[in-house]
Amino acid sequence: MGSNQGQFIEVGIAKERYAIKIYDIHEIIKMQDITAIPNSKPHIKGVINLRGKIVPIISLRNRFGMEEDPYSRTTRIVVVNHGEEIVGIVVDRVNQVITFSDIQSPPERVGGVDGSYFSGIGHSNGGLVSLLKLDQVLYE
Amino acid sequence: MSSYDASQFMAVFLEEVEEQLQIMEQEIMRLERDGSSEEAVQSLFRTAHTLKGSSAAMGFDQMKDLTHEMEHILDQVRNKQLSITNEMVNLLFKCLDHLGVLKDEIVTGRSQSPDIPALVEELHRFTSSAASLPIALPAGPQARTASEAVDFASLSYDHQLRIQEHIDHGLSIAAVTVEISPDCIMKLARAHIISNQLSSMGIVVHTLPPLESLDEDADISKILYIVATEDAGVNFEQALSGMMDIAGVEACPLLLSAASPSANPRPGENRQPEEAKRKAQTVRVDVERLEQLMNLVGELVIDQTQISRIGNVLGHRYASDDAVDDLEQVSDHISRVIGELQDSVMKARMLPIEQLFNRFPRMVRDLSQSLGKDIDLAIEGHETELDRTVIEEIGDPLIHLIRNAIDHGIESGDARRHAGKPSKGMLRITAAHEENQVVITVEDDGAGIDPDKMKSAAVRKGIITAEEAQGLSEKESIHLIFRPGFSTAATLSDVSGRGVGMDIVKSHIEKLNGIIDIDMTLGQGTRFKIKLPLTLAIITGLRVELNKRTFIIPMSSVVEIVRIPPEEIQTIKSDPVVVIRGEVLPLIWLHDYLQIPRTEAGRKHLPVVVVGAGEKRIAIVVDELNGNQEVVVKSLGSYVGKISGISGATILGDGRVGLIFEVAGIAKMMKAAHSG
Repeated sequence: MGSNQGQFIEVGIAKERYAIKIYDIHEIIKMQDITAIPNSKPHIKGVINLRGKIVPIISLRNRFGMEEDPYSRTTRIVVVNHGEEIVGIVVDRVNQVITFSDIQSPPERVGGVDGSYFSGIGHSNGGLVSLLKLDQVLYE
Repeated sequence: MSSYDASQFMAVFLEEVEEQLQIMEQEIMRLERDGSSEEAVQSLFRTAHTLKGSSAAMGFDQMKDLTHEMEHILDQVRNKQLSITNEMVNLLFKCLDHLGVLKDEIVTGRSQSPDIPALVEELHRFTSSAASLPIALPAGPQARTASEAVDFASLSYDHQLRIQEHIDHGLSIAAVTVEISPDCIMKLARAHIISNQLSSMGIVVHTLPPLESLDEDADISKILYIVATEDAGVNFEQALSGMMDIAGVEACPLLLSAASPSANPRPGENRQPEEAKRKAQTVRVDVERLEQLMNLVGELVIDQTQISRIGNVLGHRYASDDAVDDLEQVSDHISRVIGELQDSVMKARMLPIEQLFNRFPRMVRDLSQSLGKDIDLAIEGHETELDRTVIEEIGDPLIHLIRNAIDHGIESGDARRHAGKPSKGMLRITAAHEENQVVITVEDDGAGIDPDKMKSAAVRKGIITAEEAQGLSEKESIHLIFRPGFSTAATLSDVSGRGVGMDIVKSHIEKLNGIIDIDMTLGQGTRFKIKLPLTLAIITGLRVELNKRTFIIPMSSVVEIVRIPPEEIQTIKSDPVVVIRGEVLPLIWLHDYLQIPRTEAGRKHLPVVVVGAGEKRIAIVVDELNGNQEVVVKSLGSYVGKISGISGATILGDGRVGLIFEVAGIAKMMKAAHSG
């Protein structure tokens, strides 16, 4: 796993760029029909069927207090490992695999979003990318 | 060795311990019941021996020491140096309990520090009163021929057991008598060399005389080797003929009938090899793997529906193409195969209820002793198979019913004699398949439940009002026992009164989609009847649609399905109700409880599903009824957590997720909405 340690997947919502450790990612799938669960925690959008497994879905837009956008052809679900379970995160698009020359600790707020959602700010050739702290993003 | 492997061994070890402890319990019970049963002693000895071996291998010394002492005591019983007494049975039970504690310690990793050395000491004292073990070996092997020398019973028990194990593994046992030339100089060394030579052909189980007991310069003329070989036809004479200092070799097979590990083989004992054979045809499988298989089959089912749908589309598009016909045929065949596969995997998850029922004899014994009641326990249908999750879940409610029956149901010996009944009480527990369900009954021949006493107790406790009590039928009065906060005994005994009432039993059973009922004749006895589904993994569900979304209502909660014109809806205190078959039922729109907008645009009839949650009936308005379907129940997982009104989810035919309603949860939400 050593060589993967530094690799991230860069995802985007609106104009923002975020990165998730490749090691934490289970798979990336196209947008699917989500079954909403009544009376569930507000940040859970619902569940999908991933090859026979029921997978809960959250939305990064919703998490960061942004308006939900209608799903487009680029909308993806990034399925990440969360303890024994897997959870899907809806993003507007998945850009690329990325590595960083330098990672700095996050500021208190990143573009209007609480800094505790991030584990750091990565420097790459293309500019700055916020690294998602999954535990915090998935935490209710 | 990686830690993963070690934990795997650990799992196997713990399973074995569990199994052996169960056997041990049964056999001790048998000893207590039948007095000296040779079979029981034999079987107990075997379990102690097995546990000793495996605990030693895993490094659990306390368990090893304890089982070693048990083995010792049982060996003396076997040799008739000790006889079975109550004291001994109690001591054996004590050992069993301590072994149980040791096992728990291993599981939890928490030391409960049972005083094993003290118990070992106690066992020691017990055995030391008996004479020391005579060594049962032939006095002079010199004078014997091979066939005479192999007096199987004269072998020590350990060796008999080892020989039996080899036979169980399909090996043949031969007795090889080797005569060593009188002029051989180092006879013991020669004997060892012969032993090595024989080891190259099989396993040398034992020698007579035992080589390790001989002095270097012992004068041996004949040695008997007991050898286990895979091939029955090994020519030992030829194999040894080339060796020096051998005057003669005589080999004869040791037959199975002679090789029973008992001094007096009984007819019953000969079953053992057969049982061993049957055991070899089963494998232990981790439930996770079965679960995974079930998931994979579920995926196949979904994919198959897709294939058949695509087949239909192609059939319309290329009606004249033979390949499309073939596709449809193959697709049909696959559906059938998948259906059978699903059934088989389901069956593989089933276990006999035996493993639960086996816990009861001991429990009943202990309870009836502590209450000073004499009770006969009859168990029927222990081979009845059901899903292991159901078995796990039904344990506590059953134990509660049994405790109740012994504590409150069956009267004391005196009271029974007064009532003209035999002083010995009777408790019967049965299990049987009935259509697609399992029926379990717990029946006692005690005093029964007095409906009048039930009523007055319920009124006194404020569960019902006196007017309500008036209107109750006998059956309804008895069912008061299931109301929360009800307990019939005036004082709570520590046997059944542990703060868990019959209401918990009932709700537990309902959680399993089961039903509990009471049959009772005053003065004659009480019978609790529990009906359970065979499995929790697959349920029959009614598909309903709410605003274009499909939900599943478990058929086990559905009482009836009707269509009512909207004008039949009335209101009581502004709550909608509907009268169905003369019964006034609260009417709800499920939509309201699930934050789904209602959709009723001038329909002539509303589809209504009447569901039952306990005694309560609720009429539920839905948009569409789409028939019933077998669905595989899946959990929503811990990330989503517990959702009120929803018990789980399933994958629908089109691959989407359908949520399954929990009717009891909806009833609770209704109640909350009213009080709030």
